[in-house]
Amino acid sequence: MADAQRHVARFTNDSRIPGWDRAADLTKEPAVVPDAATTEVPAELRAAIEDAVRRFPVGDSAFIPALYAVQEQYGWCSPEGIEQAASVLGRTPAALTAVATFYDMFRMEPLGRKTVYVCTNISCSLCGADELLEALEAELGEAPDVHIRGFECLGACDIAPMASVNGIYVGPIGLDQVPELARQIVAGDDPLPAKQLIKRPCADPKVAEK
Amino acid sequence: MPRPVEKLVSLTINGNEVQAPAGMMLADAALKYGDVEIPVFCYDAKIGPPVGACRMCLVEIEGIPKMQAGCSVAVTDGMVVHTDTPTVKAAQEAVLEFILINHPLDCPVCDKGGECPLQDNAFGWGGGLSRFIEPKRHFEKPLALSPLIAIDRERCILCYRCVRYSQEVAEDFQLVLEERGADTFVTTFDGHPYVAPFSGNIIELCPVGALTSRPYRFRARPWDIEQAGSVCTLCPAQCNVSFSVRDERVLRVLGRDHEGVDDGWLCDKGRFAYQAIHVDQRITAPMLRDGGQLRPVTWEIAIEAAANLLSHAGANTGALVGGETTNEEGVLLTHLMRETLGSHDLDSRPGGALELELLRALNAPTLQASVPDLQYAHAVLVLDCEPVDDAPILDLRLRKGVRHHGVKLLIGSSRPSALDERAAHSARFAPGCGEAFAAALGAELAGQPSASLAEAAGADPADVVALATELREAGEEVVILWGERLTAGPRRNEGARALLNLAQELGLDGQDGGGLLEIPSGTNSRGLREVGVLPNASIGLGDAATVGRDSEQIGEALAAGDLSAVILLHSDPLLDQPSSALWQRALGKASAVIAHAAFLTPAVLEHANVVFPAESYAEKEGTVVHPDSRVQRLRRSIARQGETRAEWALLAELAARIGNDPKALTCSMVSARIFEQVPFYAGLSLDLIGGVGIRWSEREAAASFPAAPAAPFTLDPPPAAASPNGLLRLGSFRSIWASPDVEASPALAFLHPRQRVELSPADAERLGIAHGENVTVASNGDSVTGLAHIRAAAPDGTVFLQTSIPEGSAALLEGPLVEVKRS
Amino acid sequence: MTDTLLFKGIDEPGLNTIDVYLARGGYEQLGRALKMEREDLITELSGSGLRGRGGAGFPMGKKASFIPKGDMQKYVVCNADESEPGTFKDRELIQKNPHQLIEGLIIAAYAIDATINYIYIRGEYDQQADILDASIAEARERGFLGEKILGSDFSVQLELSRGAGAYICGEETGLLDSLEGKRGNPRLKPPFPANEGLFNGPTLINNVETLSAIPSIIKLGAEGYAAIGVKDSSGTKLVSISGNVERPGNYEIELGTSSRELIYDLAGGPVDGRAIKCWFPGGSSTPVLTADDLDVGYDYDSIAAAGSMLGSGAIIVVDETQSVVELAYKLAKFYAHESCGKCTPCREGTRWTVHMVERIKDGTATPMDLDIMAAVQEQIIGHCLCVLGDAMAMPIGSLIAKFRDEFEAEIEDNRNERERKLAEEFAAAEVEIEGISA
Ligand SMILES: Cc1cc2nc3c(=O)[nH]c(=O)nc-3n(C[C@H](O)[C@H](O)[C@H](O)COP(=O)(O)O)c2cc1C
Ligand code: SF4
Ligand code: SF4
Ligand code: SF4
Ligand code: FES
Ligand code: FES
Repeated sequence: MADAQRHVARFTNDSRIPGWDRAADLTKEPAVVPDAATTEVPAELRAAIEDAVRRFPVGDSAFIPALYAVQEQYGWCSPEGIEQAASVLGRTPAALTAVATFYDMFRMEPLGRKTVYVCTNISCSLCGADELLEALEAELGEAPDVHIRGFECLGACDIAPMASVNGIYVGPIGLDQVPELARQIVAGDDPLPAKQLIKRPCADPKVAEK
Repeated sequence: MPRPVEKLVSLTINGNEVQAPAGMMLADAALKYGDVEIPVFCYDAKIGPPVGACRMCLVEIEGIPKMQAGCSVAVTDGMVVHTDTPTVKAAQEAVLEFILINHPLDCPVCDKGGECPLQDNAFGWGGGLSRFIEPKRHFEKPLALSPLIAIDRERCILCYRCVRYSQEVAEDFQLVLEERGADTFVTTFDGHPYVAPFSGNIIELCPVGALTSRPYRFRARPWDIEQAGSVCTLCPAQCNVSFSVRDERVLRVLGRDHEGVDDGWLCDKGRFAYQAIHVDQRITAPMLRDGGQLRPVTWEIAIEAAANLLSHAGANTGALVGGETTNEEGVLLTHLMRETLGSHDLDSRPGGALELELLRALNAPTLQASVPDLQYAHAVLVLDCEPVDDAPILDLRLRKGVRHHGVKLLIGSSRPSALDERAAHSARFAPGCGEAFAAALGAELAGQPSASLAEAAGADPADVVALATELREAGEEVVILWGERLTAGPRRNEGARALLNLAQELGLDGQDGGGLLEIPSGTNSRGLREVGVLPNASIGLGDAATVGRDSEQIGEALAAGDLSAVILLHSDPLLDQPSSALWQRALGKASAVIAHAAFLTPAVLEHANVVFPAESYAEKEGTVVHPDSRVQRLRRSIARQGETRAEWALLAELAARIGNDPKALTCSMVSARIFEQVPFYAGLSLDLIGGVGIRWSEREAAASFPAAPAAPFTLDPPPAAASPNGLLRLGSFRSIWASPDVEASPALAFLHPRQRVELSPADAERLGIAHGENVTVASNGDSVTGLAHIRAAAPDGTVFLQTSIPEGSAALLEGPLVEVKRS
Repeated sequence: MTDTLLFKGIDEPGLNTIDVYLARGGYEQLGRALKMEREDLITELSGSGLRGRGGAGFPMGKKASFIPKGDMQKYVVCNADESEPGTFKDRELIQKNPHQLIEGLIIAAYAIDATINYIYIRGEYDQQADILDASIAEARERGFLGEKILGSDFSVQLELSRGAGAYICGEETGLLDSLEGKRGNPRLKPPFPANEGLFNGPTLINNVETLSAIPSIIKLGAEGYAAIGVKDSSGTKLVSISGNVERPGNYEIELGTSSRELIYDLAGGPVDGRAIKCWFPGGSSTPVLTADDLDVGYDYDSIAAAGSMLGSGAIIVVDETQSVVELAYKLAKFYAHESCGKCTPCREGTRWTVHMVERIKDGTATPMDLDIMAAVQEQIIGHCLCVLGDAMAMPIGSLIAKFRDEFEAEIEDNRNERERKLAEEFAAAEVEIEGISA
C-alpha cells in the first residue's frame, strides 16, 4: 500500500475505484481458510475475536466485531490481520473482506488511526458542512496518523455542521474553531469540550419546564 | 429430508391456463408448462433459492399492487399472471437500459458472443437506444482471475451468480463481492487466484462474457463449433458432458445437466483436461521397444509383435485393466485372455480379489443408493473415502443436501475430509482400519460393545457412539457412501462383511432413498466387474469356471517368473497398485509388457515392449456403468487423433491373430452381446441408454441378479491398528489432480500435485519439523521426500502422503509405520 | 398539548443509570406486563394504535401478532441504525434513557416469547453504544435480563450489536444480514422477518422509539395511549427538526399537531426571517413539501394526503437561499453511496442520477436532460428489491416536479457560464497562437 493517503472515491470518478483493475497474482496460493496450525495470531487479537464469538455464537455474526478487533490491532484491516481473524473464525479471508469493504467504518488502507468524520449530508451542508470539511482538511494538512473524510448523516443534524472525532460528536463547529479543533485532533486531546453533543440538553422546552 | 411430493396447481399466464407443480418458481413454470419466457439474469435454480437481484423478470400478478420478480414467486392455485403488459414491458426496458449503462460494446470481440443471455435479452426485451451519454467506464481487461479463468469487470452485470456459486454451491468462499453500490466488483482476497476444484463452473454460469475460460479464449465462435454429448471418464462420477468441437478438435467441455448424475456441474479436471487429448506428448501411434527405447512403428508391426509375444506366453499372461476401460473393451479382453490365451489371471480391482459372494451382496440391486439419494436422504455416512478427490462432483451433491435439504452428514475417515465442516459428526480412524471402524459402528448400532473395536480401529470410542446415535436418530433413509479401499488389502473380505452388517443394522436393503453407494477406484470399475473382468467372476458376476490370480498375485507371479507376460489395459501399476516395489520387480522380470496407454507414465516408459495408443474419451464409443448402476454411453465426438485406432477393434484383432476371432464387427455388436449375456442387463439397448443413461438396478431385469448371502455375517475380530511408538502411521490419499491427463493439460499442469507430507502440529513439534521444510519419510530402507505440511486438523500419530503421482508416491513405502525426519 | 411520555425527565442527571431509572418507577411496567397473558399483551399493544416509528409506520401490535407461536427460537431485534438523513431522535433516547428502551424491548420479547434479542446500533453511535452496553449490563445484574426474570417463567437475553457504517443496514432485512455477519444486502421478501428473520427464526423488528413507547402504553393502557393524537396516528412522536431553523433538535409532539407549529413555534423557523423553500417531512427519503403545505397536520395520514410520508419523523427545512440543484446533488450522492448494489435499477439509477446532476452543475446539461432525469426516477420506482431506490427517486422526482423552473434556470445559467469560460479560454489560446505566428 504505497499510496496510503489515496482518497477512496466511491462515485466521483468511476475509474478510480480501488480494486477494479486488480488481477490475481498467479504466483500466490489460493486463499483458503488459513490453517490454525500455521497462522500466528497476536494474543490480544485472538482474545478479542474469541470474546466476540462467545457473544455472537451463531453463524458469522462475530464477523463485524472481529473486523473491529483487527482494525484496533493494526490500525486498519490489513491483509495480515484479516488472515489471522479468518483463521480464528475458521472462514476464508475473502469472506471477511467482502464484509469489511461493504461498510464505511473499516479502513482497507493504513489511513491513520485518528479518524475524523465530517458530516456532509443535507442538514449539515445546509449549515456549511462543505466549508467546514475543506477548512479542517486544510488545517490538518498532512498531519500524521489522521484520517479525515466527509461522511453521510451521522445522526446529529441538531448540531450541524458537526464532526465525529474518534467517535466523539462535536458541533456546531464554527469556522473560527477549526484551528483549535485541528490542534486537539493532532494532539489527541478532548475535542472542543464545550461543543460535545453528549453534554447537550434536550431542545424540547417541555423537558426543561419540568 | 425426503423428496418433496409434487402437487399440481392451475394458474393463468397471459390468459392461458397452465398447470405446474406447486412451489415451482413462476419463471420456471412459465417456461416449462406455459411456453412463456420470462427473461432472467440472476436466477438459475441450480445455484439455489432466488435472490431477486437483477429485476429483469418483473411481472404483474393480479391482486398484488407492486410488480413481482417472476424468478422468486412460487406459483399458487388461481394466480393470474401477466408478462406482456405495457407496464411489464416498460420495466423490462428500464432494467435493460440500466444494465447496458455500464456494459461495453464488446460483442464482436467477446467470447460469449452468440451464446450470451445479455445479447438475447437485450434483443428480445430491450428498448433500443440508451440515453446514458456519460462515458462508459473502462478498466484494464481482461485480467487473470486464475490460471484458468479471465475476468472482464467492464462486462460484469453484478448478477451475483458466480459469487453465490462459490459461496453456496462449491462453498469454497474464495470468490466474493467487495465494496457496495455501483462500485461493487467480483474479486478474491488480496489478489489471490481463484483456484478450487470446481472453479470452472462460474464460466458457464456467467450470463455475460465477464468470466471466460483462458484456455478457450478466442479459440472459436459459437457458430463454428458443434456440440457433441458424451460422458467424462476421468473419474467414477461420470459426469455428462458436451464437447465443443471444431475441426475434429475438442475446444471446450461444457456440462450437460443431468440431475441423476452431476446436477449440472463439472470439476475443473473434467472441464479442462480435454487439453490432454491434443498435446504432443500423447501417444498417438503404436510403439515398440527397440534397444531399450520405445520407437513408433506401423500398426502391422506392433500388432504382429504383440500377437507373437502373447502367443508365446499363452496362459502365462496376466492382465491389469484400468478404470477407463469400457465394458466392450473389458469383454473383449476377457475373450483374449480366457478364451484365447487360456489365462484367468486378469483383474480390474487394484486391491485384491473380493469373495464373489460378497461382491454380489454389495452390488445387489436392492441395496443400491442413487446419486440424488445423497441429496434427499435423512443421513449420509461418508465412509473411508474423500468425495472431492475420489468422485469430485459428489462433493457438491453432498453440500447441496446439507444446505438445502437438511441432510445429516456423517463422516468416518482416516484423513481429515473437506466435508468435515459441513458434517454433523466426523470421526477419524487409523489408515487401513476401515473394517474395524465399520465393525465398531455396526456393533454399536446392534447394541453390542463397540469400544474395543473402536480402539482396534484407532478411533475414539466416543466418536463411534456419537455416529451411531446420529444414524439411529436420523430416519430410515440412510446412504452409506463408501470407498473401495474399505474392501481392499489383506482384510478386504472382512471389510465387506462389516459394511454389509452395518447396512443390515440400518435396514438399507430395499430401503427407498437409502442404500450403499460405492466410490470405486476406477471410472468404470462397476461395469468391468459386472462384465467379468475379475479373476473370480464370469460375465454377469457369474461363477468363474476357473479362478485366476488377482492383481497382487499377478504381480507376485510375474516377479516369481510364474507369469511371463502382462497386458496393461489403461493401467499403470506403478501409479495405481498399492505396492510400487512389488510392481517394479514384477515388471522388471516380465518378458513381455503390452500396454494400451495415452501417456508415457512410469511403467509404460520403463517397461512396455509394445505400446498401443489409447483412445481418449472423446474418441471412444462404448458403454460404462456409473457406481449407482446407471449404464451410460460414450459417443465418439471427434476423429481419433494421429494413428490412434479403436481399441475394441484392436483387442478383437489381437485375439483373431492368435487364433480365436471374437467376430466383433462393430462396437455396438459387442454392446449388444453384453446386454444379452449379463442377465440383469437384459433388454437394454444403446437406444434405450440414449443420452441420459439408465439405472439397471431400477429395471425389472434386476431381479435376475445372482443371489447373494444375507447379512449378518459373523465377523472375525480385526487386528489392532499399529501403535506408532515414536514412528508414525502411514496414511495415503489420491488427490483429484493426480492424473496423467491433468499433468499433460497445459492449463492444468500447475495443479499437478507434488508430494507433501501432512503432519499434525503435535507430531511436527515432537519431530522438530517446521511447515514447508523438506522431510524424508522412510520404511524398510525405502524413502520418499516432500515438503512438510502441518495441518491443525491432521490426527496425531499419522502422516499422510499422496499416491498416484509419478515421483515419490506413497506406494513406494510399506506401512503401516514409517519414520519421518527432516531431510 | 399533552405531557411528554418518551422524553419525560429526559435531562434528569443520571437517568441513564438504573438507580435513577428505578427511582422514577422504571421497570414497573415490565413487572405488570409479565403478569399478563401474552395474547392480552399483544391485544393491548394493538389497541394502543402505536405505529412503527422507524419509517414505514406499520402498526406495532399487528406485527407482533404475525409472529408464529411454537417452540422455535424467536427474536426481537431493535433497529437502532438511525441513518436516515435528518433523523437523530433514537440517539437522544438511547443516550439519555436507555432503560426505557430495554424495558420496552423486554416487554415486546415477552409478548412474542423471544428469548434471544438484539439491539443493532449504528457503529458511528460509539458513545451511545457504550452507554447502552453499560445499561444492559446493569439490567442483567439486577435480574431484568437473564433466567426467569422477576420471578416469572420468562428467560431473556439481550446483546448489543454494532454496525459499521452503512445506511442500508437500517432496512430491516439488510440489518438482519448485517447482524448475521454478512454484507448488509436486503433480502427478498417474502418471507417476511416475522416468519423467517434472524437465523431464519421468526423475528420482530422495531425501531428504538417504537419500543421505547411500550412502557407508556402499559402504564396508560391501550385506551389511554390511543386517546393521544389523532385517528390512526395515536400517541406522541419525537420529531427531529434540522436544517435551516433557529432551534434544531428533538421535540416530542402529539401526532396531528400542525407542521407550522413544529417548524416555527418549536424550532424557531429559518434564520433572519427567510422564507421556506421546501421541507422534508419524514427524512430525506420522503418527497418534499413546500411552504404551501405548512398547515398540514403532522400525522401519518395528513402528510400522506399532502403527497409525502411521515417516515422517521425528521423534518429538514430548506430556506429560500438554498439551491435545489445542490440539494438534488446531495441527495443523489447519498443514495448512490448507500445503494447496496444488489439490484439493477437502484445501483445504476442512483449513479446515473448523480452523473446527470453533475452535468447540470458543470454546465453541460440541456433542459432535455431534466426530462431524462425525471424519467430515470420513474424507471426506478417500484422496480427495486427494497425501497432505497425509491427513497432517492421519490424526493428527486418531487424536486423536479415542484422546482422545474429553478432547475431549468440553473441549467441555463451554468451553460452560459461554461460557454463564457470556454470563450475566454479560446480567446486566450488564440492570443497565444497569434503570439506564435507573430
Ligand atoms: C433504506 C432504508 C433505511 C431504513 N433505515 C431505518 C433506520 O435507520 N431505523 C429504523 O428504525 N428503521 C429504518 N428503516 C425501516 C425499517 O426497514 C423497518 O421498517 C423498521 O425498522 C421497523 O420498525 P418500526 O415498525 O418500529 O418502525 C429503513 C428502511 C429502509 C428501506
Ligand atoms: S462476473 Fe458474471 S456471473 Fe459474476 S456477477 Fe458478474 S456477470 Fe454475474
Ligand atoms: S467429477 Fe469426475 S466425471 Fe465429473 S467432470 Fe470431474 S473428473 Fe469428470
Ligand atoms: S434498492 Fe438499492 S439498496 Fe435496496 S436492494 Fe436494491 S440496490 Fe440494494
Ligand atoms: S446531516 Fe449532518 S448529522 Fe445529519
Ligand atoms: S431473474 Fe428475477 S430478479 Fe434476477
